[in-house]
Amino acid sequence: MDSSLFPVTVVGSWPRPPWLIQALRKRQAGESSFEEFNAVADDAVLASVKQQEDAGVDIVSDGEQRRDNFYSFVVEKLDGIKLMTVAQLLDFVKDRASFEESLRALDVPAFAMKSPVAVGQVRARESLALDELKFLKEHTDRKTKIPLPGPYMLTRSSWFPGLSDNAYPEIEDLGREVSGILRSEVLALKEAGADFIQFDEPVLSQVVYGAEGAETFMCAALASRKDPTQELSYALELMNRTVQGISGIKLGVHVCRGNWSRKEDVLLKGNYGPLLPYLTEMKVDQLVLEFATPRAGELEVFKEYGDEKEIGLGVVNPRSPEVESSDLIEKRVREATKFFDQSKIYLNPDCGFGTFAERPVNDATTASAKLHSISMAAKRLRQRIAVAA
Amino acid sequence: MFPVSMQEVRGKLLNGLEAAKLEQFVQDLKTKPDVAKAVNGPWRSRVEWQGGLKAKGYMRNHVASFDEPEGLGATDTAASAHEHILSAVGACMMTGFVFQATRNGIKIHNCEIALEGTFGSILNWAGLSDEDTPGYPEIKAKMYVKADATPETLERIWNEAWKRSVVTQTVAREVKVTPSFEAL
Repeated sequence: MDSSLFPVTVVGSWPRPPWLIQALRKRQAGESSFEEFNAVADDAVLASVKQQEDAGVDIVSDGEQRRDNFYSFVVEKLDGIKLMTVAQLLDFVKDRASFEESLRALDVPAFAMKSPVAVGQVRARESLALDELKFLKEHTDRKTKIPLPGPYMLTRSSWFPGLSDNAYPEIEDLGREVSGILRSEVLALKEAGADFIQFDEPVLSQVVYGAEGAETFMCAALASRKDPTQELSYALELMNRTVQGISGIKLGVHVCRGNWSRKEDVLLKGNYGPLLPYLTEMKVDQLVLEFATPRAGELEVFKEYGDEKEIGLGVVNPRSPEVESSDLIEKRVREATKFFDQSKIYLNPDCGFGTFAERPVNDATTASAKLHSISMAAKRLRQRIAVAA
Repeated sequence: MFPVSMQEVRGKLLNGLEAAKLEQFVQDLKTKPDVAKAVNGPWRSRVEWQGGLKAKGYMRNHVASFDEPEGLGATDTAASAHEHILSAVGACMMTGFVFQATRNGIKIHNCEIALEGTFGSILNWAGLSDEDTPGYPEIKAKMYVKADATPETLERIWNEAWKRSVVTQTVAREVKVTPSFEAL
């Protein structure tokens, strides 16, 4: 049996226990240091890793337990960048009316949505995720995945007119800075032995599928975006500038259509067709994509792109309370093998289980059960292939 | 009402308020009829036309601007009067909530109210119909709060707040107010 087939992994985040949320709130209120918070988070990371291992995950993450969310955590590591709530940004938003529409559609308070905003020259105070990787590697013998905010996501969410333009008159000025910081990060993580680095670029789906003029909490600055083609070209340029020439470590990019609500109807919808010409040009090994949700559209759009990249196949919906059966997952993988070489298929949930610390989309028990179901399906698929061979 | 926890915050700031001062105010309302009478009012506003559909409301030493959207041929330099009503309802609900939470020694981290209303009939306002009402038949108000108390406690305070809100109970005589709540 080829055990290297269908490696099981996660997209990154894991639901935080209540005591970690309390510690995070204290940290955010300035009532504790980052070190004090990290001491609490160590236990949460250990629990998250144990649950992933027990569920049969081959490539584990630290559950992003030290992060408020997948991109805003950078404020702890970078100078010149400040975490601001959408409520604080309201005074700077040009089109508040469309912002209000987004908040209403999402049914979220402006104070709960946070974005890192460049308010000065952005400089790395310390590595973004080296501490996470070191701790993770000390406590698991599995392969490791480190999610990082993608260069486009970080640039777009951080450049805010009225707040950022003193240091960076144009968004492209900040983009150059961000891709340089992320490139150094990738090299440092590679040196420290990370197996897989995943760039999160969910905002690309907002560019393609979001309504014209609509803004999301994830990317307040999208109000100033150009047309989707230009934005996607810019995202491609930033990614390739970040990873150009780097080898010896698996690099991936993750795109999804939103993971902040369990209400499927408020999340974005559309197939990968418009994104694929750009995603396949990115100098990364793997596309980590959602497929379990019908909102991701049909697989047929991959027909002409199938073998270009590895695929991180989303086979369970992280937001649903029902645990998908191994049979269903196996069926989904078999369907995917019509479009992708089986040796290039990795299995993962559509997205994380706790993208935003305070708004997890599932509990740890259900998340564990879903991962277990994936690893059972992977095992059976490997067995069937071995028998057939 | 003066829980033990309040003793600890006497003279200190809680939610940006001097809790002791706030409690003294409540005691004065309770024991000094002149104070209650003075606070009851009358409250006044003087609204001056500023040309077009613009107006300014002068209230004590404060001023609020009003305008209408461009669709009406106006200049949209400020919110409409009816939008101010939504904000006034929300702000008044929030005042009551923060007041009661502070008296209970509860630290509020964030508090936000999203309000919404739809006209019964703009045709009525324009004099084109007598049907329905030109006003909001209903105002929806949803509070989001993050505070150091149980969701049950916060919801109890919220219910007290909107039921005892001056502005809410003023407009609620004609309008159905639909409050909802979410503790984070």
